Amino acid sequence: MGRILDLIRIGPISGFRLRTKLLLLALTTLALPWAGCQYAREMEHVLRESEMQSLLAVTTTIAGSLKGRQELLFRADSLEAVSSNNARDITPVVLSGAPLIDGRADEWDTDARNLIRVSGPGGDSMQLLAATHERWLYLALLVRDNKVIYDASMLAPLDSASIGDRIWLAFDDKRGGQSQLFFGSTGGGTLRARRIETREYGREEAVEEPRINAVWQRSREGYVLEIGIPLSLLGQHIGVLIDDRDRRGAARSSYGTLEVSDLRATGRLIAASPDLNDHLRQFAQPGVELTVASSTGAILTRIDAPALPADYTRMRGFLPRMYRLFLDGDAISRVMSQANRQRAAESLTTRVARGKPETAQFPGRYENSVIVAAAAPIYSADGKTVFGVIQLAQTADRWLTLRDTALTRLLNLTLFVTLFAVVAAFWFAGRMTLRISRLGAASETALGREGNLSRVLPEADARDELGDLSRSFSSLLGRLDEYTGYLRTLAGKLAHEIRTPLTIIRSSLENLESEGDSANAKVYISRAREGSERLGAILTAMGAATRVEEAIAHSDRQRFDLAALVRAAAGAYGDAFPARRFVAQVPDEAVEMTGAPDLIVQMLDKLVDNAVDFSADGATISVVLRAEPAHVELSVANPGPLLPPETGNRLFESLWQSRVESDKRPHFGLGLYIVRLIAEFHGGIARAENLADNSGAIFTVRLNR
Amino acid sequence: MKKTIAIVEDERAIRDNYAAAFSREGYAVRGYPNRREAMAAFTARLPDLAVIDISLEDEPEGGFELCRELRGLSPELPIIFLTARDSELDAVSGLRLGADDFLTKDLSLAHLIARVNALFRRVDALRRPTEEKQVIRRGALTLDSERMSVEWNGQVVLLSLTEFWIVYALTKHPGHVKNRQQLMDAANVVLDDNTITSHIKRIRRKFQVVDEKFDAVHTVYGMGYRWVE
Repeated sequence: MGRILDLIRIGPISGFRLRTKLLLLALTTLALPWAGCQYAREMEHVLRESEMQSLLAVTTTIAGSLKGRQELLFRADSLEAVSSNNARDITPVVLSGAPLIDGRADEWDTDARNLIRVSGPGGDSMQLLAATHERWLYLALLVRDNKVIYDASMLAPLDSASIGDRIWLAFDDKRGGQSQLFFGSTGGGTLRARRIETREYGREEAVEEPRINAVWQRSREGYVLEIGIPLSLLGQHIGVLIDDRDRRGAARSSYGTLEVSDLRATGRLIAASPDLNDHLRQFAQPGVELTVASSTGAILTRIDAPALPADYTRMRGFLPRMYRLFLDGDAISRVMSQANRQRAAESLTTRVARGKPETAQFPGRYENSVIVAAAAPIYSADGKTVFGVIQLAQTADRWLTLRDTALTRLLNLTLFVTLFAVVAAFWFAGRMTLRISRLGAASETALGREGNLSRVLPEADARDELGDLSRSFSSLLGRLDEYTGYLRTLAGKLAHEIRTPLTIIRSSLENLESEGDSANAKVYISRAREGSERLGAILTAMGAATRVEEAIAHSDRQRFDLAALVRAAAGAYGDAFPARRFVAQVPDEAVEMTGAPDLIVQMLDKLVDNAVDFSADGATISVVLRAEPAHVELSVANPGPLLPPETGNRLFESLWQSRVESDKRPHFGLGLYIVRLIAEFHGGIARAENLADNSGAIFTVRLNR
Repeated sequence: MKKTIAIVEDERAIRDNYAAAFSREGYAVRGYPNRREAMAAFTARLPDLAVIDISLEDEPEGGFELCRELRGLSPELPIIFLTARDSELDAVSGLRLGADDFLTKDLSLAHLIARVNALFRRVDALRRPTEEKQVIRRGALTLDSERMSVEWNGQVVLLSLTEFWIVYALTKHPGHVKNRQQLMDAANVVLDDNTITSHIKRIRRKFQVVDEKFDAVHTVYGMGYRWVE
C-alpha cells in the first residue's frame, strides 16, 4: 500500500533523469504513425467495400439484362438440354486471343476439364481440346497413333483403296440439320473439310467446306489436327470421330465422340453465342473482367481480362518496404497461383448458382494485389431456375496504390514529426537540465560560501517557472544573506551596545572603590569589578571579527618575506606557549609574497591559538610553510581530538565552534573566521582536515603570492 | 585655582560617574548632555580640558562637530575623545580634528585620570622653558617627555597622547622588543592587538609625513616592535 502511494506521489518514472523522461514522452508520438496505419487500413477497407458494392450492383444489373436469355448463353431456346450432363460435352476454353491454326496446340491453355480423352484400339487414343475466341470455335485433336496412314491421293478421296486415317467432324446446325465432314490428309499441312454429297445416279462426291480451316500435322506420338469453325455454323451438338486404319483401304477402327453407326453428334457444345459478347461489351469497363459461366461452373465467355493498371507502381526504397511490412499482416497479401485463383472464382460461381449474389476478394497475380469479385445468378424468364452466373472481377490495386502513397506520405511525415519531437524534447530536456543544474550549482555555491552570498543567480531573467524558482531562490538567499549578515555583525553590535552600560557599571564601581571604606563592601566591589572585567573581555572578543574586518579594509599590501615572518613568529610562539613544542618547517630561501604581514601574523596567531587549545601539554605543534610558484601553503598541525565529522568548512564560519569544554577565556568561534577573512584577503582559502594518521588535525591556508 | 574639566556625554550615569572621579581628583567638573548646551557654555567660558563623547543624543557624530568648533575657540585646549565605538574610522577622524587623545569607554577611570593629569602636565610644561633632562635624543629624534612633544630632524611630529606614550616606551630602550602588552601598559590603555597595530601604523605614517624614509619602528613578527636607530 505504501509503495503504491509512493508511486502515485513520485510517479512511475521518477527514477529516470529528466532527459530520459522527456525522451520517453517524445517517443509516444510513435503512436501517431500507428494510428495513421490503422486509419489507412480502415480507409482502404471501406474503399474496397464500396468498390465491391458498386461492382455487385453492376453485376446484378448485367445479370438482370441476361434474364431469360438462354439463347445468348447456350445458343439454345430451351433449357432442358442445359441441365443434363454428358461425357461427350465439349466445354471450350475462352481464349483471349485467336490461336494460330498451325497444327500445334501448345499456345492453348490446357485444362483437364476442357479436355476430352477417348481411347481407341491398340493403345491409340485421342485428346480433344476446345476453345472459343470471338465468333470461332477452335478444336485441336491430339491423336496418338502408332501407325499414321495418309490418303493416297487428294483426287480420289472416296476411293476405298486409297483411304488412310480419317477424322470425322459432325455437328447439327441451328435448324436441326446434320453436317458430317471428314478430314483426310495426304501428308500434313493445310487441308479442307469435305462433305460427301450424293448426286444424281447415286454418285457420291466429296465437296469441300470452305468455311472451316484445318491444319494436319505429324507429331511425335501421331498427329495433330487443328480446326477452326465459325460458331455461326454450329448448333447444339458437335463431335469428332477417328477412323484409324493400319494400311490404306484396310478396315477402320473408329473411336470418338460421335455415334459410330450413323456419325450423329450427341455431345453438346457448351459455348455462348457470339452475341453474348456483343451484349456484354456494352457493360465492359477497362480493368474489369466479365465472366459468364453456366450454372455448373463451365465458363461460357470472358471478356477483358483485368489489366495491370498503368499507375500501379509499388513504392520502392527502404522506408515504404518497412511500412508495408508493418501494415500488410493480413491474409490477402499472399500471392495466389493462377489455378487457385480460378478455383476461388469457381467456388464463388458455384455458391452464387444457388441463387444469391455475392462478393469476394482474393489475392491477385502480383504481390499484395487484391482482386475483388462480384457474382450474380442469371435467372430463367420465369425467374425460377438459375442457368448461369455472371461474375465481374477487378483488381483493387488502385486502392492499394492509394493507400501506399497516402501511407508512405503519412508515415514519412509522422516519422519526421516524431524525429523532430524527439530531438526537440531532447534539446528541451538538455537545456532544462542544464538550466536546473546551473541554478542548482549556483545556489549550492551561494549557500556554501556563507561569507559573501551572491544574490544574482542564473535564470533570474527567465519568465518561466524556472525563472520563478531562481527568483525565489534569490530572494531566499537574500533573506539568508541578511540573516547571516545580521548574525555576523550581531556580536560586534552587541559588544558596542553593551559597552555603554558596562562603562556605567565599571565607573560606578571604581567610584565606589575610591570612596567606600567598609571592608566588606570592598570585597563585593572587587568581585563586581572582576565580573565587569570579564564582561569587558567578552565584549572585546565579540568585537574582534568586526575589528579584523575593518583592519582588512584599511590594510595596505606590501612585498615581504613570508619565510622570515613564519620563522620569527614560530620562535616567538615557543616563548608564548612554554607548555607546547613548536616545530617550524620553513624554506631556507626567502619566500617573497605580496600582502599584509600584520594580518598574516594575526592569522598565524589564531591558528596557533587554535592548535594550542586543542592539544595537551607537551604536544608538538608543527608550523609548515610550502612555497610554490603561484602560491604558498601555510599549515599548522596539532595532535589532539579529530575534527567532528561533516563540519567541513563550517569551522571557518562566524560564530561556529565545536569545542565542548569551557575554559576561562571567552570563545565565540571567531578565531577561524578571522583566519578565513585574512586568507580571503590574500586571495586564498582555508581548509581543515584530520591528519592522515588520525592523530590530530591540520589547518592549511593557501595564499596567492 | 581648580582646573575645570568639561564632560560632554549624553549618558547621564557615565557623565556623573566621570564627574565624581574627576572631582575626587580635585578638578572642577561641568557636564553637558549635548553639543548645543556644551557649545553655549564654551562660548561663555572655556574649560581647561574637554572630554567629549562622539555620539551625542540625536547626533551620531556630534562629538566631531563639537571638537571642530572648540578648536576654533582655542587651539591649545586639550581634548580627549571618548566613545563606545572603537572603530578605526572614528579614530582617524577624531585625530584629524586635532584631538589630543582618543579612548574607548572601557578604559578604567584610573587610566582616564592618568591621561587627564598627563595632559595638564603637558599644558604646564609648554608654558615653562624646556628642561634638557627631560629630553631624549635618539639620532634624528628629539622627544620631550615633559611637554610630550616629538621632533624628527627638528620638525614637530604631532602625536596623540597614546601614540606619544608608545613612542616613548619604544625609544626609552632602543633595540629592545616591546610586545603589545608592554606597549599597552605604557600607553595606559587596554587595547586589542589590532588597535596596537593600527596605532603603530599611524605613528609610522605621522613620522613619514616629515620624513618619507622614516623606518625606525620595526615589527618583530610574533613578538612586538622595537625602535631602531
